[in-house]
This record gives sequence, C-alpha cells and structure tokens, in this order.
Amino acid sequence: MGYIKDERPQTMMVDGDWQIGAYTYKAPKLVEEFVAGLKEKKIIGSLCMGCGKVIVPPRRVCGRCHRMMEGRQVVSNRGTVTSFIVSPPVKEGKMIIFGIDAVGSGAIKEGSVIIPAFVRFDGSDANVGTEILNVDAKDVYVGMRVEAVWEEKPQGMLSDLLGVEPLKDGE
Amino acid sequence: MRNTAIIGCGQTKHSSRRRDVNLAELVEEAVYNALEDAGLTMDEVDAFVVGNMQGFGGVAQPEQWLGDWIGAPGKPVLRIATGGTTGGSVGQGGYYAVSSGLYDKVVAVAWEKHSDSKEPGATMGLAHVGIANMFHALGYGLSLKSLIASAGVGAAAGVAVYQARFYMHRSGCTMEHFDMVAARLRRNAAKNKYAHLQWPNCKPEDIAKTEIVAYPFRYGHVCPASDGASAIVVASQDVALKKCKKPAWFKGVASYSDEENQLQSENYGGVGVLDSSEQMGARVSAKMAYKQAGIIDPRKEIDVAELYTPFPSQEFIFSEKMGLFDEGQAWKATEAGETEIEGKMPLTPSGGVNATNAIGSSALQRILEAGLQVMGKAEEHQVPKKVRNALAHGWGGNTNYITVTVLGDSPRR
Repeated sequence: MGYIKDERPQTMMVDGDWQIGAYTYKAPKLVEEFVAGLKEKKIIGSLCMGCGKVIVPPRRVCGRCHRMMEGRQVVSNRGTVTSFIVSPPVKEGKMIIFGIDAVGSGAIKEGSVIIPAFVRFDGSDANVGTEILNVDAKDVYVGMRVEAVWEEKPQGMLSDLLGVEPLKDGE
Repeated sequence: MRNTAIIGCGQTKHSSRRRDVNLAELVEEAVYNALEDAGLTMDEVDAFVVGNMQGFGGVAQPEQWLGDWIGAPGKPVLRIATGGTTGGSVGQGGYYAVSSGLYDKVVAVAWEKHSDSKEPGATMGLAHVGIANMFHALGYGLSLKSLIASAGVGAAAGVAVYQARFYMHRSGCTMEHFDMVAARLRRNAAKNKYAHLQWPNCKPEDIAKTEIVAYPFRYGHVCPASDGASAIVVASQDVALKKCKKPAWFKGVASYSDEENQLQSENYGGVGVLDSSEQMGARVSAKMAYKQAGIIDPRKEIDVAELYTPFPSQEFIFSEKMGLFDEGQAWKATEAGETEIEGKMPLTPSGGVNATNAIGSSALQRILEAGLQVMGKAEEHQVPKKVRNALAHGWGGNTNYITVTVLGDSPRR
C-alpha cells in the first residue's frame, strides 16, 4: 500500500449545507384529466387501440405498442389487491421523508399501521398505488376484493381517492 | 471483437464510515490494489472508466476530484452512471474500451462514499434520484400521503418489499426463507476480508430476531450503506497472456432496460405488467449473455454466480430469471443447502450486496468477485470446485436496468 498513508485515523473535514429544493417541475398533463374524473368519483384510464389494454391513470403512449392511447375508459370502483406491504406502527420523528416528518406534518396519525398496496381496478390492466383502509393488517391477502374509498366532497385532487377497503357486501 | 480479460482486481475494506480517507483517496486505494494485482504501473494504463451513483456523496463531478489520484491526467476518462447498476456498466465499459481495439489496458473503477452525507444512509443522494420518481408517482396516481407511506420504508427497500410480496404469493416461500438467505450471505461475508457486515456462524434464527421494517422485511434482511471502492484491470488477449497466469475472460456481456417494471414510472411504463418480480430485463440480458458465451444449459455450465441482491428475496427472483433454477423453486434449493459455498450452485460466496453495499461499486464488485472465482484468488470464500464459468449480475435501484456478465477460464472462440 505505497500510495496510502497507513497511519491516518481521520482527515480534516469541511461542513456544508446545500439547498436542493430550488426547482419547479411540471406534472404530466394527463394528471389533469385523471383528477377531473376523481372529482366525479370516476377512475379514468386510457385505452390502447393496438393491444386493447387499459392503463390507469391514463398515459399518452402505450408502453408496448408505442402508439397514441387515444381512447378513454372509466373503470370500476372495485378491484383486486395485487401486492401490499405492512408498516410497523408509525412514530413521530421515525419517518422523515425529504425533511418532512410524516407524523408531525399531520399526514399520518401517531401509532397507525399503514398498508400501502397495489390495486388493479376491474376493467383495467394496471396497478394503482394506494392504501388499504378500515381493515386489520392480518386479514389482508393478495387477491382480496376491495372498493374505492372517496373523500366526502372530492376537490379534483389525487387525494380524493383516499384508498380502498374490503367489499362490504361481498359482491 | 477482440478477446478481453480481467488481469487484476482491487478492493478497499468496506465499512459504514471510512473517515480515514476522502473520496479520491478511497478510489485510489482500490485502483492501486488492482494495479498491484495486475503487475502494472499507473503509467502503463491507457484509459479509465469510472463511475458512482449519480448525485450520491454530494459530489456532482467526482472524476474531476479523483483524476489526479488514479493517474488519469492526459488520458481518456469516461464516467458512466446508470443508478444501482453503475458498477456493472463501468465494468462492461472497460470491456467495450478494450474489445473494440481502442485500448489495451484499461482500469475500470467504481465507488461510493455514503458517510460524507450528514444524513443516515444516502438520503441526500436518494433525494436527487427520488425527485424524478416523485413525478412519476404523480402519473401513477399516488397522493402525497400514499407517497410518504410507501417512501417510509426506504427507496429501494420500498420497491423490493412489493417485489418480495409478489414473489411470495406466486412461489409459496415464506419469511423464514429470507432469513436463511440473509444468514448465509452474512456467514459468507465473514470469509471475505473486504466485506462490511461480517457475521461468522450467523443462523436464520439470529436474523429472525431483528425488528420488522415493513412486513415481510426485517432489519436483518436489509443491506447496509457502505463506503468502499472496487477496481478491475481489463486487458487485451496479448497483454493478458503475457501478464497474467490465469486471467478471467469476458465471454458474455449484456444489459437490458425495460419500462416494464419501473415501479414508480407511469403504471409500469404503460405495458400492463402487474407483477414487479417479473423482471423481464434480467431474463433477456441473461439469455443474450449466455448466447455470446456459448452457454446452452446455465445449470450445468455456470459454476458460481455473484448476484446483485440487496434484499434476500431478490436472490430467489434473480437466480430464477438467470435460468439457474425453475420458476418459483429457488427457495427450495436454499432450503436444501445447494446455494452454500460448498453447494451444487453456490450463490454469492462473497456475501454480496446484502452484506456490503457501496452502491456505485456494488455491481462492479460482482464482476470482480466472479473474476476472483475464475482466477482462483477468492481465498477463504473460493468455491471448492473448478470454475469454468462465473456469472455476475447487476440490478438498478427501482428501475429494471440489468447488467449480466459471464466470465470464463478460457477466451471466447
């Protein structure tokens, strides 16, 4: 090890803070169309005339056929869980994302268990990332039938779709 | 294409805080070790391929800083950054530079220095990458609350945990099988003097005692964030035969990127794939690399595999995609002990990414470790059999970017 000095416990350090938040990014245009649907408690997807797949939320170009997805389709409020995870009980100061404390900011209640999940709504060919509500984590399984839970007065925002919950009437 | 081989390997000791060196000195340590192993001086190197994960370590152009330290001034330097697969791409970049006939002796080096960040792990670096994902997430229908919830379990872990759930559902494996893999990788790491999380005689029960991060993952399943660097010396056939008794020959090199499983891209890139453990990129790149290497049956012809598996579930997923086991069956091989160092199909004898994760360097380390196995220089974690072909794999963060490299004990015909 000729190039590196053997005896050097710690080198001099320079402290610094760098601001990385000084940008404004643009959301995809089709989000507007999607949230307009949410305002009416409707989940909208785009239909590919090439392969017949319905993708939720809508997108401009089909990932496989590479053609414009001109069709629009309202898919069901009911769907199937394709994957899910279970968080440990969330504590203040434990979950900090991009400097925002999940509990401190009011986004998540102290001690709650979150079940983020992927749901495939009937009539679509894509997963939607959302959350399973009003259920004990022990009772959740892949293939579980669920339906959308809506904000009482939808505002035309992504958060209008609060999550999904198990079917009450069992179909 | 000319025949090309690895003639020297160099690594640094990996740990969570290498405060004895700065970024440039860390990289130099690996390069110097590799040159010493190859029996070359810095002056003899024709060109450099370098890389780490973009944005990590808080240095945007690290090659400007470290160029002097590795003897690069006045020579071509190419920086490659492909996320978690960076190391795999850097290693393959070294192969391209030599096999094309442009250069005869190239150093490929990749590194990561997490500890320069004041935040745990690589939060700052992840934020750089994460911002792009956040905007994919919008197109994906995630509200801020759901985004925070899924980001809460950590970037790559958050993705891998869904992947694990998909795999468990279709294969029938359980959390106990993840414990077995994690325990084996940490035992293997204890035999590798460069590895980070070394745990001699680690048992699945020890892993099972650790806290749950997000069901079905425990702390014991998750990789560490390491400081460290890896370097290889890539040489043309003429130089390799002159300089090295037993070079590790590049036989197959492939990479594949598909929108399909980009978890937070707009609905999996709009291809309608519902299973994020499908990983078609791995299957396609393995197929391409095997074809180049003339491998027909990987189960018989691959003697050892170094897989990029920060999370134990991925060992099952990727070993199956590489054709080493039947679909949904890899966990049974683990149960039967076939994947141990002495087993029929040794997987990641170095301990792998689950025990040592200097992100940018991790995938190059897989190529390096596969090379050591072919060259017979892996010391304590050398597999006790003749290694004709060794497989090295790289996986990129939450995207589906995969590199597959096949190294062998004889040049490609």
